[in-house]
Amino acid sequence: MTDKRQVAMVIDLNKCIGCQTCTIACKTQWTNREGMEGMWWNTVSTSPGEGTPKGWEKMGGGFRKGKAQPGKLPKQGEFGTAWNFNVEEALFQGDKHDTLGPIGGDPNWGTNWDEDIGGGEYPNSFQFYIPRICNHCTKPACMEACPRGAIFKREEDGIVVINEDHCRGFRFCQEACPYKEIYYNTVTGTSQKCIMCAPRLEEGVPTACSRQCPGRVRFLGFLDDEDGPIHKLVYKYKVAMALHPEYETEPNVFYIPPLAPPSFDEEGNPIDEDRIPMDYLDSLFGPAVGPAIDLLKAEKAKKKAGGESDLMDTLIARNWLDLFGPFTTNPKDVAKTLEERVQNRQG
Amino acid sequence: MRVQKVNTIAEYTDPAAPGWGSVEVTEIETIPAPLGLQPTEYIQVSWEERPYGALEQASLRAVHDGTSIAIQMIWEDPQPSTGAGEGFPDGAAIAFPVHGEPELMQMGSPEAPMQFVQWQASKKQARSVLAKGIGSTLPGAAVGETATGSWSGGRWTVVFTRSLAGEGESANLVPGSNTQIGIAVWNGSNEERAGIKAVSADWTALALDR
Repeated sequence: MTDKRQVAMVIDLNKCIGCQTCTIACKTQWTNREGMEGMWWNTVSTSPGEGTPKGWEKMGGGFRKGKAQPGKLPKQGEFGTAWNFNVEEALFQGDKHDTLGPIGGDPNWGTNWDEDIGGGEYPNSFQFYIPRICNHCTKPACMEACPRGAIFKREEDGIVVINEDHCRGFRFCQEACPYKEIYYNTVTGTSQKCIMCAPRLEEGVPTACSRQCPGRVRFLGFLDDEDGPIHKLVYKYKVAMALHPEYETEPNVFYIPPLAPPSFDEEGNPIDEDRIPMDYLDSLFGPAVGPAIDLLKAEKAKKKAGGESDLMDTLIARNWLDLFGPFTTNPKDVAKTLEERVQNRQG
Repeated sequence: MRVQKVNTIAEYTDPAAPGWGSVEVTEIETIPAPLGLQPTEYIQVSWEERPYGALEQASLRAVHDGTSIAIQMIWEDPQPSTGAGEGFPDGAAIAFPVHGEPELMQMGSPEAPMQFVQWQASKKQARSVLAKGIGSTLPGAAVGETATGSWSGGRWTVVFTRSLAGEGESANLVPGSNTQIGIAVWNGSNEERAGIKAVSADWTALALDR
């Protein structure tokens, strides 16, 4: 009998630079097989924006007052299909070369497609990045929707996984997930999604997206670990919150909301007005975002003035391994022990 | 519905085989599988205001040769869907009771299972499926199941075949005796899948010639 525990992630939006290293770390680890070309179990999109899949926040799903809500089935074109470049024709054919470009015409959507748009008016324009993965919800709408019981939540860590031996590709899960974090593989005929790097976590290794992040953006750990950063940020300081809590699925990925420089008046002088409109942040994170922003600003000011701030020290994460709670094993060491295990079995 | 004895079903496996012309037709009426029986709240709410299972009937013919049975099923579908890429495929199934008296609408129960052979426009292989209640389907025992579909003139013609004999948890069809048959049809262009389908409201008696 294992205790019911929940692995969670806190993503600090103030530190994300949109470099997509997490996206590629995930892609090369998990979605580099046939039928997964257009899948991105980790995305980083720009806010404000339509995101991935395009317009996902208007696609429905989740629950309202506990009742399942209809959702739209996202299409591959809305996520953005994979494309290749005509490298051979453009670069290796001497003088008679083609112009370098995508094969099969210009694509019209992809992850972070609306990067350069943002919101607000110059000089008070704004934008920030939102990395997203499956939220491994406490009340997974995908799991509730599946008529085959093919989706389950692991007791030992709360990771939500699809049993592809039971999945028949009906895709009710895709519709029901309000975050549209599930993809359909047309080769295998099954639905697939972020598995929170479960095989890595089982070996004490952090998720690929967290470990590869150069910005130390992504905290990892058990939600109930009172000594870990997750518990502190979510429950003690209440500065980490779920994206779109109104969908009622109770996500276990939390965000530190973004601060921004002050707005400027017409003369270019800073004024006491939020650059990122509070109603926009409210629409993303719910009413808890106001007090969180206030606390972040106050603690930041305290630290700037030379004072002590445990919250700021936690967010700064000077010691890299402090980000990962109990998952501090180097994957290199696990690879070694796996090799030894295989050799022992053979020997 | 009568299952006529013929020399060999090999002459009937093609949906357009001329031999079918001289076999009695039985019309089986279908209704939308009830919303209240859909296994999850999500499926119920998402199809609450969306029509499905609009098919009203299918035409069936059946022959056996003492070893195997062939069943031809014809139904109207003006917009065929082969399920290419992200599409949902058209599909059909014929079901038989394994033992006991399974409720067709409930897809059987642990005490009274049913077995069906499923055809999908996206696949060359038919599937044998065992059901012991809604949402419980498992791969069924192999009964030499095949299914071949052909669409023309606004309708699908599918021929299912399987052996009469079935071992273990499978329906055993015995010449000279009676059993029952139920059908289901999925309209892929309407995104019908799983329990979202047209079904025969109850079993139809099936009498196999000696």
